[in-house]
Formats: sequence, C-alpha cells, structure tokens
Amino acid sequence: MSDSNNTELMDLTFKSIIDALPCYIMIQDPEFNILFANHKFKSDFGDDIINVSCYSVLKGSRSQCTECPVRETFKDKKVHISEEIIRLSDGTIIEMIAYSAPLFDVVGNVKACIKLLVNVGTIKDTHRELVTLGQSIALLSHDIKNILEGLQGGAYVVEEGIKDKDMELSGKGWDIVKKNITEITGITQNILYSAKERKPKIKNVSPGDVARQTGQLFAEKSSYMGIQLLLQLNPKVPHVKLDPTGISRMLGNLIWNSLQACQKNTERNSHMVYVRVDFYDNRHFMFEVEDNASGMDKDTMKNLFKEFFSTKGNSGTGLGLMVVERIVRSHHGKIDVLTKPGKGSLFRIIFKLDHKKLDLV
Amino acid sequence: MAKDILKIVIVDDNTDYLFTMKTFLSRNGFEVETAPDGQAGIELIKKERPDLILLDVMMETTFSGFEVCRQVRSDNELKKTPIIGITGMEDELGLKFDKYDDADYFSPDVFFDKPVDKDALLKKIKELIL
Repeated sequence: MSDSNNTELMDLTFKSIIDALPCYIMIQDPEFNILFANHKFKSDFGDDIINVSCYSVLKGSRSQCTECPVRETFKDKKVHISEEIIRLSDGTIIEMIAYSAPLFDVVGNVKACIKLLVNVGTIKDTHRELVTLGQSIALLSHDIKNILEGLQGGAYVVEEGIKDKDMELSGKGWDIVKKNITEITGITQNILYSAKERKPKIKNVSPGDVARQTGQLFAEKSSYMGIQLLLQLNPKVPHVKLDPTGISRMLGNLIWNSLQACQKNTERNSHMVYVRVDFYDNRHFMFEVEDNASGMDKDTMKNLFKEFFSTKGNSGTGLGLMVVERIVRSHHGKIDVLTKPGKGSLFRIIFKLDHKKLDLV
Repeated sequence: MAKDILKIVIVDDNTDYLFTMKTFLSRNGFEVETAPDGQAGIELIKKERPDLILLDVMMETTFSGFEVCRQVRSDNELKKTPIIGITGMEDELGLKFDKYDDADYFSPDVFFDKPVDKDALLKKIKELIL
C-alpha cells in the first residue's frame, strides 16, 4: 500500500473514530467560535454550528460563560477541566465534564483549543442517590427511634392507667400510641412512594370526593390536636383524570404537615387548616391546603422539596413534601407555595381539567 | 432540712414525651413541671427553682437546650442545679457531649440517650438529688 493510500486511510479512520466517540468534541478559535464539531455534537445541536460561538450553541447565551476552561487554556496553554450544565435543543438538561486542551501552531502559540465534553449525568445521579441513601438511613433510623420511644411511652401510660383503673390516663396513653402508629404508617407509605418511580393509576374521579375522603382520615386527629379542619369543596369541579391514591397521599402529607405546624405554633390559640378544591381558571382546577401556623422563612422555602429536609425535628423525615412533589410531577401539575412568617402557609396544587397526557388504566 | 417532695422540671419539645415522663416521675414521688420549649423552660426554671432539670438537648425551637443550659449555669442561684441532658444522637452520630470542651457553655451533669431507660434514669436522678 502506498504512503498516500495509508494517509487517506488514517484520515478516514481518525474521522470515523472521532465521530463514533460517545462524547462531544469541538475545536474553537480564540473568539470561542466552533471551527469543527464531531458527529455526536452535530446530531444533538444541529449542523449549522460552524463559526457560531460555543456559549451560544451550548447555553443559548449572548455572552461568554463566567467560567470557561477554553478561555483558561488560551491564557496559560494548559489543560483545564470544568463541570458544565448543557441544555440540548429538545430542552433536556445534562451535566457534563469539559476538558480543554491547546492546539499549537508551528511556533508554539495556541492557535485553537480542542474541547471534549463527557456526559456524567448518570454518575452524578448515582452519586446523589448514594448520598440520599446515606442521609435517609441516618434520618429514618433517628425518626423511627423517636416513634418507638413514643410507642413505649404511650404503652407505659396505658399500663399505669390500667394498674390504677384510671381510664382517663389509659386513654391519654392510648392517644400517644395511636399518634405514633399514624406517624410510622405515614413514614412507611412515604418510603414506599419515594423508593421507586410509581406509575400513577389514572381514573376518572371527582377531586372533591378525593379531598373529602382524605380529610375524613384526619378528622379525629385534628380534633384531638384541637385544630379545626375545614373542607371547602366546590361541587362544580367535574370528574377529572387523577390517580386517587396518589392524590390522597399528596393531600394527606400536606394536611399532616399543616396540622403539625399548627400544633407547634404557640403564638396563636386558635388554629385552622383549610382543604379546598376549586377552579383555578377555565382550563385548570386546584387543591389547596392552608394553615394559620407560623409560616416559613426564606431558607425553609428554598429547601422545601429537597429529600429529607425537615423543620419538624423529632417528628419529620422530610420525605413528605418530596413525595408530594413526585406525585404532582407524575400528574404534570404545578405547586405554588404562598407563605408569610407569623401568618401561615398555603400549598396550592394546580392540575389541568382535561389532561391528554394522562392515560386511564 | 431536706424537702419532702423534690421538684423536677422537664424541658422537651415533644409533648407526648413530656406527658410520659411527667407520669413516670410523678408516680415515683416527684413533683413535676413541664415546658415545651427552651424559652418557656428557662422561665419555668427561674420561677420554680427545681431540684433537678431534665433537658432535651436538641429542641427544634428558637431557644435550644444548649441555651437553657448556658443560662442556668450563668445564674448564680441556679448554677448548681443538676441537669440531665437527653440526646437522641450519641449512638447515631457518635457525638459525646460529656467530652464537650466548653464546659462553661454546656455542662449537664450527665447525659442519657433516647430512648431513655426509665429505671436507669430514676436511679441517676436519685443519685443526684437524694
């Protein structure tokens, strides 16, 4: 085989290799314009990216990124690495590790930079899952220990009451036992919900009926806690496509959070929790759970839907709102949280009245 | 002269725990007063001048057990009151509060980890105040 044939083959092989690599490779000039991109890059971002700036293609931005490994490479002629979040043309967001390396001209100046982007989303997800798992074990064991303490304590009070034939004391002990059974039931259900993605079982149901049935589950508890639980359900909201079990769990978590927030709030003597179903606008309806407890500060709001974030100390795992968020997401709904420190909080869940993406079982 | 009935103040943000411990200690001959948070706790301690304080260390209230302890220890009339610190964390996090360096800031006489062994607690209370 002649030398020229060999070179041709080598050129073809290199291009095939670069195109076949499951990562993005591009070459940029000092103005960050893309001079070359491999097949994978072009298939995700389109063919019209040559001579377009990297930040415009990858970030949809008009200005340079604040942190850019390519800029650093042009400055110091060294290899730089950074983490980047990229939005694909279909809206998918991916986490990537970016490597940039200098391409020198014959006199040793950096003529261009080669940038390689590797998707590390799966690794990041695994990392997050492991961190969450670690936190969950620590927090759940703490929480379950507190519940066991509550069960033991309640049982002790029941026994003392029986010993003295003091039924009032036994009744108080039994209330403690029941409250802790409710806690462990809620935690178990939330663990089951959060342990894996659960496909919603969509049925045609009345949101008012779901809210009424869920509210009834908390009637006795709220009465024992001295909190008024009020249902305000607009009967005109029609049957809609929902997973009634999931929605009931969602409402149950919100109601229980509100009841506990009221119980913890010592600034007010009279507490109320409202559960509402009503129209949001002519295409949407909403569930609302509102309390007049102490409201939330900015930090709490920021961390609200993070897994295992809780302000409830001994009585919360932080799983509840994460489960709420997951259920709302599975129904393609939206959560609004309105709160005012010292006044109370309102959780509003908005769903479409006629959701075409939800398939009936 | 020793008092006939010894008084214990319990400060804990878990109202069920307060009720259980109040029942237990009352039935063992103590007069018991309770407070559901640190602020109410320090006010109650100043008012009641108890013989012993049972204090939840990590209360999720604006006024923690650490602060209650600091205020008791910095009050000349209260500072010798025995404090039993209740923690839920020693075995979970490996924290040992009895080795805490800043003894002036946070210095309960003894610690118990949740769930509390009631008999061991009663024995310790008797050792401290009887």
